[in-house]
Amino acid sequence: MARQYEEVTVRGYDEFMKAVSQRKGKDVFAYFSGSKNEQGVSWCPDCVKAEPIVRGELGYLPPGSVFIYCQVGERPYWKDPNNEFKKTLKLSGVPTLLRYGTPQKLVEEECFKKDLVRMMFTED
Amino acid sequence: MAALCKWRHRLKPAGFFQNAVRRQLSDKYDYDLLVIGGGSGGLACSKEAAQFGKKVAVLDYVESSPKGTKWGLGGTCVNVGCIPKKLMHQAALLGGAVKDAHKYGWRIPSPITHDWLTMAPAVQDYIRSLNWGHRVQLQDKKVKYLNLKGSLMDGHTVKAVSKTGKESVLTAGNIVIATGGRPKYPTHIPGSLEYGISSDDIFWLKESPGKTLVVGASYVALECAGFLTGIGLDASVMVRSIPLRGFDQQIACLVTDYMGSYGTKFHWKCSPSKVEKLETGRLLVSWTDLDSGKEDQDTFDTVLWAVGRAPETRALNLEKVGVKMNRETGKVCVSADEATSVPHIYAIGDIADGRPELTPTAIQAGKLLARRLFGKSSELMDYDCVPTTVFTPLEYGSVGLSEEEAVRRHGEDGIEVFHAFYKPLEFTVAERDASQCYIKMVCLREGARRILGFHFTGPNAGEVTQGFALAIKCGATYTQLMATVGIHPTSAEEIIKLHITKRSGLDPTVTGC
Repeated sequence: MARQYEEVTVRGYDEFMKAVSQRKGKDVFAYFSGSKNEQGVSWCPDCVKAEPIVRGELGYLPPGSVFIYCQVGERPYWKDPNNEFKKTLKLSGVPTLLRYGTPQKLVEEECFKKDLVRMMFTED
Repeated sequence: MAALCKWRHRLKPAGFFQNAVRRQLSDKYDYDLLVIGGGSGGLACSKEAAQFGKKVAVLDYVESSPKGTKWGLGGTCVNVGCIPKKLMHQAALLGGAVKDAHKYGWRIPSPITHDWLTMAPAVQDYIRSLNWGHRVQLQDKKVKYLNLKGSLMDGHTVKAVSKTGKESVLTAGNIVIATGGRPKYPTHIPGSLEYGISSDDIFWLKESPGKTLVVGASYVALECAGFLTGIGLDASVMVRSIPLRGFDQQIACLVTDYMGSYGTKFHWKCSPSKVEKLETGRLLVSWTDLDSGKEDQDTFDTVLWAVGRAPETRALNLEKVGVKMNRETGKVCVSADEATSVPHIYAIGDIADGRPELTPTAIQAGKLLARRLFGKSSELMDYDCVPTTVFTPLEYGSVGLSEEEAVRRHGEDGIEVFHAFYKPLEFTVAERDASQCYIKMVCLREGARRILGFHFTGPNAGEVTQGFALAIKCGATYTQLMATVGIHPTSAEEIIKLHITKRSGLDPTVTGC
């Protein structure tokens, strides 16, 4: 079946903001994860755990929406309380799944709960 | 193999029968508890019930206001009550603080201006995050949330209608009505519905309300007029008779006196007769002075009706099911355990007759009800000595009886009233007028002099009053108060130091340390 949403992969804050600004007026969902190494494994164990759960619910995304998969950076960058994600996007932890421009977000262990993820994708 | 298929095929049309049998044998109802209304009471009750492993659902549905305002999960408090009110009150207080700051040495350019378009969206965003937070909580606690409008069909059955008109039927072992109230419109006044707004709308306005007339003298009216004045708008209050009906009247007058000197205009003993829209888009309000009979008029940008709240019972179909209501108030009659006249149907919060219209009492009543229904508890909600605070520009905190009520119950000779006019320290350097900062403690006259009522006007009245609510609940006496040491320097310590009685006729103004 054809995918109803657009998936975008970005690395870092600037790439993320660029992807968002290019999709004004769209329903944008973003998943923020600690960056993966060459083996494709993230330094953030919660992100490793949450990703398959979030991906498992992507089929519930509303048609025409956008899913941005964003790798935030290396662990020392993330730990700095002044990084742009924390300062400007007000992220408190990774993983974070949010609906851009709304207060809807799921943080850390909340991302482990597939019914919460599905709820965000399917409700207004 | 063929026999198996034949067996299955024979059972298919019996699916309906299967469901009924299944219901009788195990679940019987779709839910153990169905709550109609997702506000303070409804959410607390449903989440508590779910903790006991029960199958719970909440129906929440917001009918838009006449102006078209709608909001999300959480009820009045979250969306169009306590929360936005307190935040806008804070915005107004900050304006006052910035003005005081000059005297404390801060170099701030003046005059300072306020931008509604910065404040309102910030408040609205916070409310939306609360809507989301409640949604996540319900899901997490396994409470089913349905954005449907519920009405009763019988003692265990609810009809639920979606915004598109799709109907469904739900059954429950127990039903809790927690639909709250909505602002009343004085529909007998021409133009009131078409041109006026209510507290349902004020916090969600996309533009500043501008020059506003608030009609009413309840705490809703005074709090709204208060923060509108505080953010620099021209605000007037039109009062038919007395301010803050039900509250201690001496204090109510101190509150409105302060508002008057703060900049809010008052039209006392006046009643609006009509509202018309001018070509400019502004509103022309005509009113009658009830004492002189004189007519007067003025133009405003906004007219805010704060003339009372009506219980949301119309659409519930209560009469048909036999749920008794108080004819006068329109609210649902309940007994001490929140039960209505129909078994297994309960009512909590603003919809219940005789209950305070407050969030904390609705929450507590909801939790205790769930514990009684599913947790083997027998604890009833104690509605005695519930503390409150009115967040007018001069805040007013109280717990227990007003002076009038204490006189009614014990006679003037049966009570002793201690009082004091004090000046908050912060007001001194700021050269603020503290004429209405006042404390009153109404006590029994005999014995250790148990405290019957506590009243405080001043900054942070809510924070000051909370602890005294505990004291009064524990039966604190004036003797114990005298034995308590004050915290210095605070305004609250003046409560501990009360010693002048009204009976003595002495000047109750506090002088120095």
